[in-house]
Amino acid sequence: MGLILASATCDPSTEIICAPENVRELFEFRTPIFYLGPLPVTRTVFLILLAAVIVSLVLYFGLRKKSVVPGKFQVIVEAIITFVKDGIAVDIIGEHGARFAPWLLSIFLFVLMGNLYEVTPFVNFPITSRIAIPAFLALLTYVVFVVAGAKRQGIRYIVDIAWPKSVPVALRPLVGLIELVSTFALRPITLAVRLFANLVAGHLMLTLLLASGWIFMSHVGEIGARAAIGIPWFALGLGIYVFEIVVIMLQAYIFTLLSAVYVQTSLYPDH
Amino acid sequence: MEEIKGAVALIGYGLAAIGPGIGIGIVAGSAIEAMARQPEAAGLARTTMFLGIAFTEALALIGFVLYFLA
Repeated sequence: MGLILASATCDPSTEIICAPENVRELFEFRTPIFYLGPLPVTRTVFLILLAAVIVSLVLYFGLRKKSVVPGKFQVIVEAIITFVKDGIAVDIIGEHGARFAPWLLSIFLFVLMGNLYEVTPFVNFPITSRIAIPAFLALLTYVVFVVAGAKRQGIRYIVDIAWPKSVPVALRPLVGLIELVSTFALRPITLAVRLFANLVAGHLMLTLLLASGWIFMSHVGEIGARAAIGIPWFALGLGIYVFEIVVIMLQAYIFTLLSAVYVQTSLYPDH
Repeated sequence: MEEIKGAVALIGYGLAAIGPGIGIGIVAGSAIEAMARQPEAAGLARTTMFLGIAFTEALALIGFVLYFLA
């Protein structure tokens, strides 16, 4: 709603771009809701901690009793773990992939939980739509794939990227430069921005459609035509809501998949 | 002639979305073709399709973010 209200007060003839005042909220933390000792806890921090607790509890109770005939809950948890371990880690990285499975599983579950807040009623706020969280996760991936590549190949890891043997000598400086920038700068940035922008876009779309649809509908008494706009508008919002559930799972999957691909390319540069 | 008003950044985002739109279409189309030709390799094609979409989509998303930063 802030966007609608802000754009009404902006004069397009003087300001070229009507950036709403509260758009900075996407990049900054709000005022804290309570203090945990000396640490201020904002809504975002609280939801991060809650996500960690929920993920830990799901894993603990899902795998507490490793019965031969698993219950429904255990089946679901085991399916998620198998999906990440076999479907992502071993499939993408290769035979050494199982070593990276715990890290990939943590990333997958945390991002999934953070994204799921978007469609959780009464929360409706994905923590991954604050740039700090995807940026930190991307930094973690960055450290992991650089360290993995450096440990396996040593100094040749950098040399092979900066001076690729597979292209003609005349082109090597250019290709090497492009490869260096794309590997060490663009990879983490796009990884973070992809998750962030998807979630911001989804969050904005849901907020705009549902909130403005609701405001149109709640003015039925004054102008009937508003309701005629509001009801299809709100219904469209609900349609997007279902679409967002798919996007959420896909983005958590893609984030984990790309992390695995980056580790794979730094472990085995030949394929 | 009337003066054109509105956010220039929106046009920029629209332009940024053209290329990835076409690109994602090509990626998904090729993946469907591959799945139809070789249904036994559908899993591999699907994973690769998501990877291709993720790389292509990044450009559109950078455009989206730049709209807010501009």
